[in-house]
Amino acid sequence: MLQSNRDHEIKTFPRGNRLIFGSLIVTVAAVSLLSGCKFFKSGPETFSVRLEISPVVGDQPFQLDDGSGAASYKTASGDQFSVTRLRYYLSNFRLRRSDGSFYQAPLDAKSSEGYFLVDTAEPASQTFKFINAPAGDYNGIEFLVGVDDARNSAGVQTGTLDPARGMFWTWRTGYIFLSLEGQSPQSTAPQHALTFHVGGGGKDSLARRVYLPVGETLLHVRANIEPLIHLHVDVSALFHAAHDIRLAETNTVMDSAQGAVIADNAASMFRIDHIHNEPRKASHVP
Amino acid sequence: MKLLRKLRPKFWWLALAFSLFLVGTSGVFSRLEDFVRLHQTPQLKVPKGWPVPHYDFAENHVTAAGFELGRRLFYDPVLSRDNTVACGSCHQQFAAFAHLDHRVSHGIGGVNGKRNAPGLFNLAWQPNFMWDGAVHNLELQPIAPIQNPIEMDEKIGHVIEKLEADPRYPVQFRAAFGSEVIDTQRVFRALTQFMGTMVSSDSRYDRYIAGDEPFSAAEKHGLQVFREHCASCHSEPLFTDYSFRNNGLDRAPPDRGRADVTNAAGDEGTFRVPSLRNIELTAPYMHDGRYATLEQVLDHYINGVQPSATLDPRLANGIRLDVSERNDLLQFLKTLTDETFVNDPRFAETNE
Repeated sequence: MLQSNRDHEIKTFPRGNRLIFGSLIVTVAAVSLLSGCKFFKSGPETFSVRLEISPVVGDQPFQLDDGSGAASYKTASGDQFSVTRLRYYLSNFRLRRSDGSFYQAPLDAKSSEGYFLVDTAEPASQTFKFINAPAGDYNGIEFLVGVDDARNSAGVQTGTLDPARGMFWTWRTGYIFLSLEGQSPQSTAPQHALTFHVGGGGKDSLARRVYLPVGETLLHVRANIEPLIHLHVDVSALFHAAHDIRLAETNTVMDSAQGAVIADNAASMFRIDHIHNEPRKASHVP
Repeated sequence: MKLLRKLRPKFWWLALAFSLFLVGTSGVFSRLEDFVRLHQTPQLKVPKGWPVPHYDFAENHVTAAGFELGRRLFYDPVLSRDNTVACGSCHQQFAAFAHLDHRVSHGIGGVNGKRNAPGLFNLAWQPNFMWDGAVHNLELQPIAPIQNPIEMDEKIGHVIEKLEADPRYPVQFRAAFGSEVIDTQRVFRALTQFMGTMVSSDSRYDRYIAGDEPFSAAEKHGLQVFREHCASCHSEPLFTDYSFRNNGLDRAPPDRGRADVTNAAGDEGTFRVPSLRNIELTAPYMHDGRYATLEQVLDHYINGVQPSATLDPRLANGIRLDVSERNDLLQFLKTLTDETFVNDPRFAETNE
């Protein structure tokens, strides 16, 4: 009833008023566009937080083996190793609020946004905005080393999850969560190779959840502050953390039983070195 | 031809309406009706009494252009490293998309695989793929044979480069997906439109169940025998329950089967229960193609089952059939052949 009354009113607007009415609509539309379409977004406005990853071995910077033999390291048990390739997925980032609850950015099933493929040979893949979060103080971050089960068994994905990226098993469905290739004189494999391909979903998924408290300096997510977390990834932890690995015995890992050992260790590779609460550059207001 | 294709959607609907109008009046026009039906893009229709399909086409709508692209990809050997092996090389339509007379799949350079190429049909209902169930999404299934060194031995990235270099493909990708971009998702979604709409549901068995065609006394008896002795695993209407079982081929199974994937001791030597639809056409049989004939298969179940730790308990004593039961079961199995499906020109080889 009310609706039909209003329709009636609009229809009987005098011609001059109609012009004013029309320009009012245009103005409202323009304003909502200029305000960044916030109007149409659900939830509060969010701001980006960045991650910078540096691979290390213990306290030393880590380098990939370029064939010169300079980048050779020792495991805690004294085995020697060098790495020619190290890639892994990080996903499902969450920020911990001071009340202990978590903020997780919504994932879009149609895009690979929020799934990061870190390639130690590619600096660009080691520094990225990992989350957009509402303004506030956060005291910890959490993420998955690997890909969650829903996405691991979905259809063909794009972007970082494109199976053509070479981090997809060829003989069964699912992503390789972490892939390390290198050499060790102790390895009994042909050419003394080290080949660790860790992955596998289902109820015994090898994706490992990592929680890291940020320490005394909280993450101050603000419209004018973009926090940066500097993450150290200790490659030697792969061989000595939850499980101690001897490269003479464990040098070629593909199956899920051995993969679980490496996955457990991989969860211990990550530590926050320090945090910057940097002024947000004007160019990247979200 | 180009003009015909442009006109196709409207043209065929008109033709369909026209033929339906005439079909009642003359038998000649039922042929026309068939002709028209076979020129429509297949869609995934769930036959009466069948369960809900596992693959959901909601995110990958079947279109004429997408289906035709998938069909071309299926039959194009550029999907292999040396451009010699297509999907269709080991999945032949006349064999219900199995590989006739080949025990195990033949890959690039004449290398033999270790398992038999299965027939392809009703894939949208299948929860996982390969004899060991290693792949659990229809879109992702073709990646396994394409990248397997003993099958097509190619990398997806390189396949995409080859498709980009072929002037026919960018045009077809634009027609199917709106732009000339060729990426992994588009390649495999197109293939899925082709493979996922291969529905086989018009065998004599189906027509008998629908009440459209009679069975002989032997076939009726065979169906009864089937339901008593086989249907617990090869359950109707898809003729498989998609489980993994050891059917007693070997005392010490040389192929780990499902255990390759799960590493579970209980899965050693178990393999996916295959559908029995079109079974007459998909010889040779078993995961390793060891039996050339259905008679050999039945004789295995009657008196050849080998004991082992993971043998399916239902087969512990084999399947006891007398001569008439065996013969009638054989007659029944042949009613599962779907001539409509294996002769459907829409699924036929193309390189136009």
